[in-house]
Amino acid sequence: MRMDKTKSRTITGMQTEQIRARGRRGWHIGRWLARFVLLTCFLAGFYLSVFPSGRALVRSLAILPGVLTAEEPSWEAPVAEPISHTQMTLQSSAGIAYLDIYAPTTSAPPVPGAREGLLVIPGIGDQRKDAQLINFSQTLARSGVVVMNLTTPMLINLQLDAADEASVVQAFHVLQHWPGVGGARVGLFGISAGGALICLAAADPRIQKEITSVTLFGSYFNVTTLLQAIGRRSLDIDGHVQLWQPVYFPMQVLADTLAPLLPANDAASLENAFGPGGHPLTAYQLAQLAPASAAIYHLLDGDEPTRVDANLAALTPDLRALLDGLSPSRVVAEIRAPIYLLHDRSDQYVPVTESREFAAELAKLHHPYDFAEVGVFQHTEVRPDLAISQLLGDGQSLLRLLREVMQASS
Amino acid sequence: MPTLYLVLTWAILGLIVGLLALGARLKPITWGRTGRLWLLLLALGASLLGGLFGLWLFGRLFSAAVALWWAVVVVCVPMVYGRLRMQLVK
Repeated sequence: MRMDKTKSRTITGMQTEQIRARGRRGWHIGRWLARFVLLTCFLAGFYLSVFPSGRALVRSLAILPGVLTAEEPSWEAPVAEPISHTQMTLQSSAGIAYLDIYAPTTSAPPVPGAREGLLVIPGIGDQRKDAQLINFSQTLARSGVVVMNLTTPMLINLQLDAADEASVVQAFHVLQHWPGVGGARVGLFGISAGGALICLAAADPRIQKEITSVTLFGSYFNVTTLLQAIGRRSLDIDGHVQLWQPVYFPMQVLADTLAPLLPANDAASLENAFGPGGHPLTAYQLAQLAPASAAIYHLLDGDEPTRVDANLAALTPDLRALLDGLSPSRVVAEIRAPIYLLHDRSDQYVPVTESREFAAELAKLHHPYDFAEVGVFQHTEVRPDLAISQLLGDGQSLLRLLREVMQASS
Repeated sequence: MPTLYLVLTWAILGLIVGLLALGARLKPITWGRTGRLWLLLLALGASLLGGLFGLWLFGRLFSAAVALWWAVVVVCVPMVYGRLRMQLVK
């Protein structure tokens, strides 16, 4: 009995010792874990504030939630810069241009010493009151970027005019000299058809070497291939033909853009047919059209999907020159800045194949670029009621692209 | 109000760093029992100063990151100083 008691006491003593040793080991691990977390905090904090690539990442992370939710998250208020909104007009050789500038009201911080600027063409039509565009501009401005939105009377009248490039070049110079903005920190951002004007300006010898980045969101690469897709109502995606049904708006814009080169009566007929609430032309009305006007009608209406090439061949040299003049494909080799492409993969305004062709051409030219296909947008507007999985998946692609754009200007 | 929240963020970061420093046994033995409180206050002060410095140098968006690495650097100073002193004495 005594022996058993001694044995039991020894076992208890050993167990206590084991527990103590385990506790000491636990403290030891905890100490080193805390040191590791401190080291990680130091490295992360230092990288995210001192290195330009780190600051670009922070800025992208600050911008992304505002872009995806189409409103400013309230939790970002403490780090948001106070901003102002200025409206002004610009007179260029192409005519008047309207500028909306969203800028931080505080002066630029000593590091890096100047703010980044972004000249945005928000597409066709008067988008200046569009809630998502205002949110996008304000979100960027709150993160310290000076945003200048540009539109012209031609764009407001739903017409694309290559001459508006002069206004873009002049606005670029205005933004370069905006208080606080660094002259070598200005990038271009084209939304939808605004991307075409952005590309034309980016290739302009007056500014081509001063642009830090060119970002194109839902833009086309070539008007002729865009017309082919509209005419065929189908897309060739990875060798598979897929049906594609565009909304009326790109047809209306193309009809309005091509109309000035058509006989007056034909122009009016096309503008009415493809305007809001327009009706298809009757056989009699079609018979009255000139061959080129009829070809445009069939291309836009999509009623002759098998004769698209023949209809394109029926266009007059003037019309073909206009289409060529409005295509970024014509000037892509002259653009010096890196190009970032973003496209809705089920876009019904401009098919995703346009950005794919753009990316393929850039790869062929060995031009620095990146391309992200996402599903969180309908053309260029954030879709409502997005699933978390989609937000997370596309959020990564958007973050990568945003970071590259921010880093190019930093 | 946003600025107050920003300062609160720096303060919270400072306290977290202070607690981690205590867990990492960065408090010099010579500081005694009240040393824990002093280490927490040191981290808090460093974080607030770092935040202010970051706000001025890099802008609002990056001030919290500066507050974080400043606090980490400052809480390591007493231990590093103590060790260096010991080595010099030896």
